[in-house]
Amino acid sequence: MSEEKVIVANKGLVRADFAFWVGQYLDKFYDGLENKKIMGNKCPKCGDVFVPPRKICGQCNVVIPLEENWVDLPDTGILKNFTITPYRINDRSSRKAKDWIIGIVQIDGSNTSIIYRLLNMEPKDVKIGMKVKIEWNENTKGDPSDIKGFIKV
Amino acid sequence: MQKVGIVGYYQVKLYSDANYGRYEMIFEASRGALDKAGLKKKDISTVISCTNDYYDGRTISNCFTVEVGGGYMADESKVEMDGAHAVLYGLMRVLSGNHNLALVWGGSMASCYPYHSARLYETDPTWERPLAYVNDITSAGFQMRAYMEKYGVTVEDIAKVAVKNKKNAAKNPLALKEAQLPNLTVKDVLDSGIYSDPVTELMAAPPCDSVAALLLAPEKQALKITDRPVWIKGVGYSQEPYYLGDRDLSGCKSMNLAGKMAYAGAGIKDPSSEIDVAELFEACAHEELIFAEELGFAKKGKGAEINSAINGDLPINPSGGALGGHPPCGTGLIRIIEAVKQLTGEAGQYQVKGAKKAVASGQIGMCAQNNILYVLEAN
Repeated sequence: MSEEKVIVANKGLVRADFAFWVGQYLDKFYDGLENKKIMGNKCPKCGDVFVPPRKICGQCNVVIPLEENWVDLPDTGILKNFTITPYRINDRSSRKAKDWIIGIVQIDGSNTSIIYRLLNMEPKDVKIGMKVKIEWNENTKGDPSDIKGFIKV
Repeated sequence: MQKVGIVGYYQVKLYSDANYGRYEMIFEASRGALDKAGLKKKDISTVISCTNDYYDGRTISNCFTVEVGGGYMADESKVEMDGAHAVLYGLMRVLSGNHNLALVWGGSMASCYPYHSARLYETDPTWERPLAYVNDITSAGFQMRAYMEKYGVTVEDIAKVAVKNKKNAAKNPLALKEAQLPNLTVKDVLDSGIYSDPVTELMAAPPCDSVAALLLAPEKQALKITDRPVWIKGVGYSQEPYYLGDRDLSGCKSMNLAGKMAYAGAGIKDPSSEIDVAELFEACAHEELIFAEELGFAKKGKGAEINSAINGDLPINPSGGALGGHPPCGTGLIRIIEAVKQLTGEAGQYQVKGAKKAVASGQIGMCAQNNILYVLEAN
């Protein structure tokens, strides 16, 4: 290949932000988060409890009615898996000095898991199967950031 | 299934930063496949392309590739997944009985865009995307840990896959130069820097630039074009739930189901003895072991015990696999081409002796959410 490469960079001439409507199920879930409460919903056929809640159970291919099958869940759970990374997705070009520990947590009483940072923990403290608890953001906004992460119980 | 033959192929060499416009690369691949088969543009009756709007930085990205991709005033459509999925579409077009020659091409130039940032756009914008904890980097870490924890597999077992594939890549002139590492050791892989623990840099397929192309023809036509077509004997595909938190990452059920479907089509009863070589799209080293187990080459958790070297019992990724370079949208298609080369005896330094039956896989999504498998056979 030749030594000099001519590059045209496209910085984007238009700005087109998307506004996604979260839908009725996540709307209710985010209302719960704003009040520091976790709500799941239960498939009427297989009984699986989903966090976040959803309209369709993929396995059973049935609708979970919006008016029913809501389950109040605690803010505790079990750590199912974790990874430790020095990268942030939007800046993979440079490693950060501080690692993030990111965990997959199954909220007690649910059958699915959610992914958040594990806080106030050293890598050596992290064990699969350990009990963890939500660290809420002080000022909740009704969005995914209301859960700051999980801490050791 | 009616017989459909692979009658030509071409792969552009993998570059980490190719000095090509993408059009030149697409033309080199599609024209190269035609030339190799001794065919002309007018012989193509349908074109299936595989690109991705995000990766190409433009919407409906195939509308820009009409002239270079063989689609000029022709029947053309795009599959926005892996190139191996585009082959399925091409296969269906040929099986419809309406087409005598399908050109399938796929690939992209990862040097032109932030690949890992673009992968974030796979996540749910209303749930996981705003916090950006779930991406191809962290999900690979989860998948590797889940597999190791469940079966007691060690990091060394997984590093050995990277060593094997990077050594194999050194024998493949079309592999990525940076991935051709004939003297790599397990220690080098483990010391190569944490990517997302326990995955290290050298365990992950390096995104790069390339385009590959493949030609498909129905049986009669295939035999007119070449005396050594490779036959597609079976194909299977399946996919897992969307949210990572809904999945069991210690295995890959969708690959298991894809394998069963493909084996049923091809009449394969005992894959580990009947298959001579496998080219599997491993986005990370551990996926090669998970896939090998799900495809019946070893018991669950015992993938590392397979002698999968080029001269081993069941060679896996003799070309170097995706660890030898991963041009998004082209990688699964290249696995098929590499399996074809093995069956036609064109694999040079990494030829598996006497290979008659092969499998090749493609994937798309976090932790191989969607998998596709082909069983191929020499004429």
